Amino acid sequence: MIEKWSALIVLVLAVLAAIGMGSNAAWLGTSTLIAIYSLLALSVGITYGQAGILSVAQGAFASMGAYATGILTARYGISPFLTLPVSVLLPALVALPLARLVSPLSPLVLAIATLMFATIVEILLRGGGDLTGGYIGLSGIPPLFDAQTPVTFNLIAWFAVVVVVFLYANLMNSAWGRAINTVRHDPMRAVADGTNVTRLQSLVFTLGAGMAGLAGWLYAHQLSFISPDLFGIPVSINAILMAVVGGAGVILGPVAGAVVLSFFYEFLPGQESRGMFYGAALILTLVVAPSGLLGFTRFRRRSPAVRRGAVSAGAVPGKVAS
Amino acid sequence: MNRGIVVSSVTVRFGGVTALSDVSLNVQPRDIVGVIGPNGSGKSTLFNAVSGLVRPASGEIRIDGQDAVGVPPETLVRQGLARTFQTPRVDPVLPVEAAILCGFQTKARQSLLGAMLHLPGQRREEAQMRASCRAIMERLGLIEVADVPLGELPMGQVRLVDVARAMASEPRYLLLDEPAAGLSLLEQRRLAAAIRLLAADGVGVLLVEHNFGLVGELCRHVTVLDRGKVLLEGDVATVRSNPVFLQTYLGSHAA
Repeated sequence: MIEKWSALIVLVLAVLAAIGMGSNAAWLGTSTLIAIYSLLALSVGITYGQAGILSVAQGAFASMGAYATGILTARYGISPFLTLPVSVLLPALVALPLARLVSPLSPLVLAIATLMFATIVEILLRGGGDLTGGYIGLSGIPPLFDAQTPVTFNLIAWFAVVVVVFLYANLMNSAWGRAINTVRHDPMRAVADGTNVTRLQSLVFTLGAGMAGLAGWLYAHQLSFISPDLFGIPVSINAILMAVVGGAGVILGPVAGAVVLSFFYEFLPGQESRGMFYGAALILTLVVAPSGLLGFTRFRRRSPAVRRGAVSAGAVPGKVAS
Repeated sequence: MNRGIVVSSVTVRFGGVTALSDVSLNVQPRDIVGVIGPNGSGKSTLFNAVSGLVRPASGEIRIDGQDAVGVPPETLVRQGLARTFQTPRVDPVLPVEAAILCGFQTKARQSLLGAMLHLPGQRREEAQMRASCRAIMERLGLIEVADVPLGELPMGQVRLVDVARAMASEPRYLLLDEPAAGLSLLEQRRLAAAIRLLAADGVGVLLVEHNFGLVGELCRHVTVLDRGKVLLEGDVATVRSNPVFLQTYLGSHAA
């Protein structure tokens, strides 16, 4: 399957784009933002697209990653590369118990629970006093290294996307990935395969939180300034939109969605009308390509000649309880 | 150690309704034991109790001597108790081979990190699973349809895929929930052959069925349930000629 080559595809395209952009600051800024959004949308891809857990807290996890590195580097002078594991592991460690709590909930209730969690994180960051900088936020976050330029940072951001896509694609191509997909489609079926559904869902939720934390780490060191609403709920929803438009169930779907919607965002007029175009893009994709722009790459249909004596998909009542 | 699935005087209640009352059953390795009965006789409840989905109010279920009551169903699967579904729960876009590969869950030993980094151990394990998967498909005659999505297959083959998926975990016991429902005669034959092969390999099979023809063909021992109670049990010939059985199960005209 083509999905095995996902990381290589991103690598080649990112390098080509980097060569094409040269040192154009505006383009580099957009490109870096797309990379960061790609990571956030990929975290939606694994939790929602693969495991079926709709989380509105991905922004909150990114926020944790950003604040973790922000506080440690700006206040305590620790090297950004030493805080990278903290930025990834802190959201993951918070996500693990949260996932245990919420994964038995029904999908809608779970989404609302994650929304509440995101709100709590935002409130805590605002009320964090000197540690988090309260409403004003945290400034003076150092760059990753002294010679950091938009060109190098863009490359680092896309390198992070390539690494995440590589790990993610390998995971989905293993027995773990098959179990994760079975859980999304039918938890009962997964149990009959011998899968502990709650544990697996928690694990995926945790992985997604770690990915989001990585996005936060990057963003903090790009902007050098972070505030509580930087990764607010609108950002989480944006990431969900990107994943769904690109194809949440396809490895590269969220990246494609991030590219397409970011371009929309760049070239569309006025703040107010953006929501309208976003909504239109979402509805249009869901009508034209229900499983996202890259949805067609999943499983190829066989030629009609091989379907002798076949029944239609509708004749298999897959979701009826036995 | 007491081998086999031993169900002793199990009673299951749903609120005030007694779905199963004082039912006992014994499935030994290499045995194919049939449970038949009309709709609502408690077949599925018995099936769910053994597979860990329903907790009995009283009675005992032991699998190879170990208490199975209260053990989570996925743990029972890991201990060697596989099941199929009355209505196969399939993802219609999944090709046959991919669906059967999902059955190797209990065989997977790779760590999360090993899988993400695609380490040599992971590659070796994946190759092994694919080889075993092909062996199972060859055995059940599914090899020609390996790449066909389940949604495009006739029901009989979908059920065979479900059996194949259960076989993948190399179970010691296999519970089959009405596997022949809606199958053509030819498909039933294929299924029966597959079940016989499994039993010959030492698997204990519990066959919950509506179709007495298939049960009569496969099973030595049959338990007839009616309204949650054991109406009759014994070998197929005895049950078949029993007037009470004919009366309740096949209707008075047959008698």
